[in-house]
Amino acid sequence: MHFKTIIEPFRIKSIEPIQFSTRSQREEYLRRAHFNPFLLNSDQVLIDFLTDSGTSAMSSQQWAAMMQADESYAGAGSWTRFENAVRDLTSMPYILPTHQGRAAERILYNHLGGAGKYFFSNTHFDTTRANIEFSGAKAVDLPIEEARNFSSDFPFKGNLDVDKLGEWIENVGAENVAAVILTVTNNSGGGQPVSMANAIAVSRLCKSKNIVFVLDACRIAENAFFIHQNENEYKGHTFYLIAQEMCALADACIMSAKKDALVNMGGFLALRNKSLADACTQLLIITEGYTTYGGLSGRDMEAVAVGLKEVFDADYLKYRIRSTTYLGNALKEMGVPVIFPIGGHAVYIESDKLYEHIPVSEYPGQALVCSLYRTGGIRSVEVGSVMFGKYDEKGALIPAEMELVRLAIPRRVYTQSHIDYVVEVFEEIVKTKKQVKGLRIIQEPAFLRHFTAHFEELSQ
Amino acid sequence: MNTSNKKNRSWAEPYKIKMVELVHMTNEAERKKALVDAGYNTFLLKSKQVYIDLLTDSGTSAMSDRQWAGMMLGDESYAGSENFYNLEKAVKKYYGYKYVIPAHQGRGAENIISQILIKPGDIIPGNMYFTTTRLHQELAGGKFVDIVIDEAHESFNEHPFKGNVDLIKLERLIREHGSKKIPYVCIATSVNMAGGQPISIKNLKEVREFTKKHKIRIIHDMTRVAENAYFIQQREKGYKSRSVKEIILEICSLTDGATMSAKKDALVNIGGFLAVNEKKIYEEASNLVVVYEGLHTYGGLAGRDMEAMAMGIAESVDDDHVRARVGQVQYLGKLLTAMKIPIVLPIGGHGIFIDARKFLPHLKQTQFPAQALAAEIYLDSGVRSMERGIVSAGRNVETGDHYYPALELVRLTIPRRVYTQAHMDVVAESVYEVFKNRKKITGLKMTYEPKYLRFFQARFEPL
Repeated sequence: MHFKTIIEPFRIKSIEPIQFSTRSQREEYLRRAHFNPFLLNSDQVLIDFLTDSGTSAMSSQQWAAMMQADESYAGAGSWTRFENAVRDLTSMPYILPTHQGRAAERILYNHLGGAGKYFFSNTHFDTTRANIEFSGAKAVDLPIEEARNFSSDFPFKGNLDVDKLGEWIENVGAENVAAVILTVTNNSGGGQPVSMANAIAVSRLCKSKNIVFVLDACRIAENAFFIHQNENEYKGHTFYLIAQEMCALADACIMSAKKDALVNMGGFLALRNKSLADACTQLLIITEGYTTYGGLSGRDMEAVAVGLKEVFDADYLKYRIRSTTYLGNALKEMGVPVIFPIGGHAVYIESDKLYEHIPVSEYPGQALVCSLYRTGGIRSVEVGSVMFGKYDEKGALIPAEMELVRLAIPRRVYTQSHIDYVVEVFEEIVKTKKQVKGLRIIQEPAFLRHFTAHFEELSQ
Repeated sequence: MNTSNKKNRSWAEPYKIKMVELVHMTNEAERKKALVDAGYNTFLLKSKQVYIDLLTDSGTSAMSDRQWAGMMLGDESYAGSENFYNLEKAVKKYYGYKYVIPAHQGRGAENIISQILIKPGDIIPGNMYFTTTRLHQELAGGKFVDIVIDEAHESFNEHPFKGNVDLIKLERLIREHGSKKIPYVCIATSVNMAGGQPISIKNLKEVREFTKKHKIRIIHDMTRVAENAYFIQQREKGYKSRSVKEIILEICSLTDGATMSAKKDALVNIGGFLAVNEKKIYEEASNLVVVYEGLHTYGGLAGRDMEAMAMGIAESVDDDHVRARVGQVQYLGKLLTAMKIPIVLPIGGHGIFIDARKFLPHLKQTQFPAQALAAEIYLDSGVRSMERGIVSAGRNVETGDHYYPALELVRLTIPRRVYTQAHMDVVAESVYEVFKNRKKITGLKMTYEPKYLRFFQARFEPL
């Protein structure tokens, strides 16, 4: 294709008006939200880059399937279609529907975890870590070295460090390893993809040590795009086939369907092992719902079944990845420190490099998130010490490894002019960066504090 | 059939049909095979093998055109969705609780409130158990104790409020364990396992006064509160001229918080919430809900589902709606009574409960008479019902033996706004056919038994 413009492989069937606001209105909204944009009302937001989770625009095909849904409590036809779609992708015999991804995680990790157990991952996501720590187990991140080198253009910075994994397994003993989790793409590590070669190596190591290998597949289609692009032996494969091959390596597959299944609600846990499936099914019924709906309406299961096919469409995936890259490259060109290469679903900014005058203990990421909202009504999310920071015994902050801000792009929702507006807002952000102040936390819960914490702006 | 205020008026629906869903008419050979494949457990049947699905009224309602229009207004923002605020408004306006946390369904809310309020060794008194509610109480380390009046366990007793609490039983519990061991009393409106039976305002007021004295909360399992309110309007002195809406607000005002499966009275296919008046519990629940369900402004629900719930709540408290809803259930119940079928009386709000012990007096309870009867009704006509007897009751955690509930029932649960009067006629005819040939029905033996909530997935074979 020699044209530069990214043209969407769809046209718009239904629109949702957005509310415009003035800067002074936004100042007020932000104050009332305690400087935590998670607490803003959605009608106070112009461009919502908080998350790509559950925010997709569904297709007319998905809406049509929703209208045909079967809401029977047990054995609904919608369940059969959902089960078939998931089984076809994962090749796993036991499919447990859940209301969303974190429920699948909780069920599996509560069963596998507990005090004294270890989980290893390329990087645990916030809800994943919370679920694991909630069970009493430890969550250890093992990203490869290149993941932190932002000048490197290594294409698979989401990979898990297999050598380190081997060492850790030796040290803690294989019997104490609850599971190894490979998240594709690696969300908390900058939305970077994982290579098939890495997945194969992890799978081999887990098999030899008899350790459960879990694939967190919520962005598996976007990951497949990068494999197709950068791993030679997969050039001739379809994106769907690549995803199938990756699933085939794992013992369990967890998916928040709110990402790459293009739906607003849904998830699943797929398992190869019967006794593990039986144990998880008991937990499923207690907290989620009966085995053939798991807390989802029939129509949501229908939408997943259709979405899991649509997302692997070659034109869609090309459009999706290219439009994310478009935003990332534009920011990079104006000198915003972004994680490179640009990932699939989001652009990640190193806030501590943008705001060098704000120390980590004053949350430069949260400062950028607030600044983006004030300046342009853009809602983003901090992925740094607010999300992952902890306190030592004296109450001093143990910071996260990176102070990132994520601009997550909902699927099929915003147009190129929306993105161009965001780029303009960033020009202003760069110009006024010196005036931005840090924050401190004045109220926070024990788990997942970033969702509900209250902040105060520091005055100096 | 006269449930309206005027004489000789039928209960006709206050709506017309806007969209239909085709159903599959099965034949006997298909049903025979399907039943064997499903291990004689109606839960394990596929919905396309079912002609009239009376398995549950949960999540099976037909939504209104307004609700569908509301679904199109779904605001799927992760945080602060407009639909959440509409839901919050509806809960405050129609139920009167101060704080609302959405959950993907009722059991999500039960899980959270149980974890917050129950400490190991606690006692939770309630007006009869419900499967998922009791399980969450037990998993949190508590023990459920039934304090419903004895009449609730007698299928032929026509007490108008079989959901009432026996205050003497409650008092005895407090004396025995001390009020500190009782974090709350769980009050269901209306009581599902007793046959959809209501609690009276008078009784609830007494429970309120008594618990206030001992500083014990009341948590309201409000999934069928509108149906309960309708029975109060029809049966309780002083409430004839009060609207269902007013009565619901009064019920809620006598409690401290509630868990709601909106899949029943609130006319949606998915959704629920936890509502409380205490800020401290709300804050704890906001933190816990993130772990299990989702952020506190969506709780694991799509925006559109919160919108449908907000509208469904408003529709569900309408007098005409509840009158037609309960009217249809009464219609089927009266047909069956006229045929001398033994059913739980008075007829409840959401379903007809057939007394399987009286229906099949030749079977012992360990031969699972209700399970066998549900299988037989399916075989006759493709009507799917549900066992609510010894299989549902499960086993005692301490002794490992079955619980032997006094009521061994088959529930014909009527989905809201889905089936017509003609469908009800077919159901009655089928039950009658089975009744005529009941002597030939043999019991079942259980061949697979799951550890928790066994009724969902257990498998059986005929004896």
